[in-house]
Amino acid sequence: MRLDLSLLIPYIGLLAEGAVMTLEIAVLSLAGSVVLGMVVAIARAGKSATMRRIAFFYADVFRNVPFIVQLFFFYYGLPEIGIYIDAFTTGVVALSIAGGAYASDVIRAGILAIDDGILEAAEVSGLSRRKIFTLIVLPIALRTSVRPLGSVLINIILTSSVLSTITLNELTGQARIVSSDTFRPFEVYVVLLAVYGVLTYLVSTGVSMLHRRLNRDLQPEVN
Amino acid sequence: MLIVENVVKAFGSLVVLDGVSLTVKPGEVVTILGSSGSGKSTLIRCINGIEKLDAGRITVDDFDVTKPRELAEARKRSGTVFQLFNLYPHMTALSNITLAPIEVLKRPRAEAEAEARALLASVGLEDKVDVYPAQLSGGQRQRVGICRALAMKPRYLLLDEVTSALDPEMTSEVLDILAKLARDGTTMVFVTHEIEFARRISDRIVFLEKGKLITNLPTAEFFSAAGGLALPRVAQFLSKMQKA
Ligand SMILES: Nc1ncnc2c1ncn2[C@@H]1O[C@H](COP(=O)(O)OP(=O)(O)OP(=O)(O)O)[C@@H](O)[C@H]1O
Ligand SMILES: [Mg+2]
Repeated sequence: MRLDLSLLIPYIGLLAEGAVMTLEIAVLSLAGSVVLGMVVAIARAGKSATMRRIAFFYADVFRNVPFIVQLFFFYYGLPEIGIYIDAFTTGVVALSIAGGAYASDVIRAGILAIDDGILEAAEVSGLSRRKIFTLIVLPIALRTSVRPLGSVLINIILTSSVLSTITLNELTGQARIVSSDTFRPFEVYVVLLAVYGVLTYLVSTGVSMLHRRLNRDLQPEVN
Repeated sequence: MLIVENVVKAFGSLVVLDGVSLTVKPGEVVTILGSSGSGKSTLIRCINGIEKLDAGRITVDDFDVTKPRELAEARKRSGTVFQLFNLYPHMTALSNITLAPIEVLKRPRAEAEAEARALLASVGLEDKVDVYPAQLSGGQRQRVGICRALAMKPRYLLLDEVTSALDPEMTSEVLDILAKLARDGTTMVFVTHEIEFARRISDRIVFLEKGKLITNLPTAEFFSAAGGLALPRVAQFLSKMQKA
């Protein structure tokens, strides 16, 4: 059997739609993960013992349960107790919750790495706790966290392929349709491999650029 | 006035400040000397409210740093310069300086920036306005650190070994600036190991020994045989420092 990609031409639109949906899901889930990760990182570093315990519990549970189990729980489990959420929302929420557990670790590490002296300087200058957090702690933590957060994003993109199991026609879902339409799984999945590869490559290039921009002071000065 | 009254500070069972009292009047330069571990940094950290006191009181122009409601006002009146600079790494020299004036004093940005530029120019850094801390030399970082403290127009400048992380050339860059501030009447509480420099710019010198202030004398008297040198610990300390 020969590799004949031309027979996929009629399906390019379908696959592109899938890729766009994968990107949409990834971007929304990344935003969700980072926001959730920040909240949990703050709770884990915070004063309240109850909040700390809840935050640790969350981070542990969602890192230690297979994603597909979490997903099925949300999509097939919750309707049993009267909670219906559409597939797209479920996918984004599930990925955000799972990604948030990892993102909280990354952001927490970034926060803990900040030199105490810098925080003291901010404190004695009279800045409020909230200002110190938003203007000093988070920006410094994010500088060091961009790269590992990039890995979280790539993981989200890869994991999003599992969403095809809850009827969502993202990239992998579309590919399955095309494959069963054409009876040419080989060609279809060769293309799929390439598309995921390109997608994650673009993301990691973007992350590197962002990292360089946020840490531009550490670059050799251009005269 | 900056008044330290019978301050006690312990870390666990280690008493680091043991009934310290000290008054600094506006316009004075007071140098704190003492061997390593005598509690100098801890005293500075009590004055700017980083450490909580176990007993005693510190007031900065009548605002009590031990009262949470007054701490913010007390802090507006003092500025701290740190041994390791502690600049905000993600901000340019200019933003390091303007952050607190804008966010704490609510100064208009344009005004705060104009003042920051003038401050940077006054320490010879007019061309480093938009540069990040990592791109500055140690001496330049410390000059930015001084500008950051001065931008808040503090009534009292607290300086804790601000040159000990610098090589001799950079040290003199920074000391020249401090000498100028002293001449201009800036009130300073100055922790240092630069004895000769302290002797030149200080009005008074106090000596901390194991958490106790054992002398508090005008500079000339501190260095006189009948004054500070009459105390064995002080004489010993000074001779050791001068050999070093
Ligand atoms: N956070 C802390 N926890 C426990 N002990 C501390 C703490 N901070 C300071 N100490 C102890 O308090 C004592 C005084 O420390 P401090 O830093 O005030 O000394 P110093 O006079 O500034 O010394 P140096 O000249 O070396 O800077 C030391 O024995 C130090 O180990
Ligand atoms: Mg010290």
